[in-house]
Amino acid sequence: MSRALARRALVALLASVATLRPGRAAAQERTTLGGYGEVHYANRTGPDTPGIVDLKRFVVYLAHAFNDQIAFRSELEVEDAKLEGAQPGGEVALEQAYLDYRLSDALTVRTGLVLPPVGIINETHEPPTFNGVDRPGFDHDVIPTTWREIGVGAVGRVPGAEGLSYRVYLVNGLRAAGFSAAEGIREGRQEGREASFANPSFTGRLEWARPGLKLGGSFWYGGTADADPALGTGAFAAPITLLSADARYDVGAFLFRAVAASIWVSDAEAINTRYASAVGSRIAGGYLEAAYNLLHALAPASSQKLNAFVRHERYDTQAAVPAGTARDETLARRITTFGLSYKPTYNTAFKGDYQLLRNEAGTGATDVLSLGIGYQF
Amino acid sequence: MIQAPPPTKVAASIVRLFGPHARVDTLHVDSAAVLRISAGDSLLGFAQVGSVIGKDQPITFLVAIDPANRLKDVDILVYREPYGGEVAYEAWRKQFRGKAAADPLQVGRDIRSISGATISVHAVTAGVRRMLAELTAWHESGAIR
Repeated sequence: MSRALARRALVALLASVATLRPGRAAAQERTTLGGYGEVHYANRTGPDTPGIVDLKRFVVYLAHAFNDQIAFRSELEVEDAKLEGAQPGGEVALEQAYLDYRLSDALTVRTGLVLPPVGIINETHEPPTFNGVDRPGFDHDVIPTTWREIGVGAVGRVPGAEGLSYRVYLVNGLRAAGFSAAEGIREGRQEGREASFANPSFTGRLEWARPGLKLGGSFWYGGTADADPALGTGAFAAPITLLSADARYDVGAFLFRAVAASIWVSDAEAINTRYASAVGSRIAGGYLEAAYNLLHALAPASSQKLNAFVRHERYDTQAAVPAGTARDETLARRITTFGLSYKPTYNTAFKGDYQLLRNEAGTGATDVLSLGIGYQF
Repeated sequence: MIQAPPPTKVAASIVRLFGPHARVDTLHVDSAAVLRISAGDSLLGFAQVGSVIGKDQPITFLVAIDPANRLKDVDILVYREPYGGEVAYEAWRKQFRGKAAADPLQVGRDIRSISGATISVHAVTAGVRRMLAELTAWHESGAIR
């Protein structure tokens, strides 16, 4: 075909395509409401431990697209149903609130309160997406989900490498003043509330996906001193380094998950001296989970799922301790969870599980029976 | 609701699927526009542009079938969501090739999901299933020929 003919064919094609939606060339503004939530029942073994029911999370998702490129997205969360002055528990918080500026498939600039892309649960935390009533303990004590900080970054696909995508952000840092022996860096998060920007931090993730398989690697690096002279006033004073890797693999009726993370707290000794704490100089661990969809064999034509799963977590918030800090063996946790997740649709779940909470010291063994529901839309 | 995709993306998709010599005509069935693709006297297939809502944004895609009503391919034309862009990967889309309207086209049965992209995966799969059924019915009834 001659070049002139080819050009004519393309013009004809463009003309025919243009008639697909006359008068609709301009993108429309649209607002979307969504949400997710979970209600839990938990009963621990032992005397004087009655069951507890809790409206764990109620989250409203609000998004607005200004055009095809610019969108605002947010999640507003109420924890434990209500908060009342001077009473513990309960929280109203923004979980995310950011503006996306999409320049191409390879680059979206994201600015605002964002989720550090670390591990599996922090970014994908809607209850129907994971097994077990509560999130894994690892995703509380090692990776402090739901972790969110304010910053700016870039997300997109890696051009020329199908399956590979990335996210990198520059965000406010953690504060060593909040670190603890039992929950590691968790209470060092600032969560967008008048956060100190004394220690800008970097976080990012590289992810590779195929049908049924997703592999990811994440990092966080940044100072935690918050300009406290005892720890140093530099931007990277009292740094922490976090590295994690995760895998999700679905094949036939089986679903597998694995996550591991290690956090190095370089100046744990100085932090412990300054704040009279017992923070580990290394926080590490992970979990393995296997699930089997019982309906795959019982009702092959069904799109519903009944996942029987088992998960084993091993993590230690004092995997190493600095000089002057005594290691507490009860912090080396060994948690095994068995349970069922019934998912009549992919975005609703009825869950039940039984947890064996153990530790390396062999003390305080506790079992927990939990029931719950979860949804997202 | 269909959000208009850039015409050049549709053109590129048609050229990729049916070659550079393809002739494209627009047919109107009910309120839908179907692209008829031919070369000389022979019919190469049909294509249609559709949209489904993911988490909060329309995902605009193209479905193409051959004259025997087998799905040739699915192309993601515009993806606007914050997470779930994996549906544009060829490794995921190629699962649809060769499918017929009688196939289940269900996530977890003949279409594998991608963790972290569940909403997009379900939305696009349902959209493709619906459009393949529509195109097949129109072609079999002679509404498009």
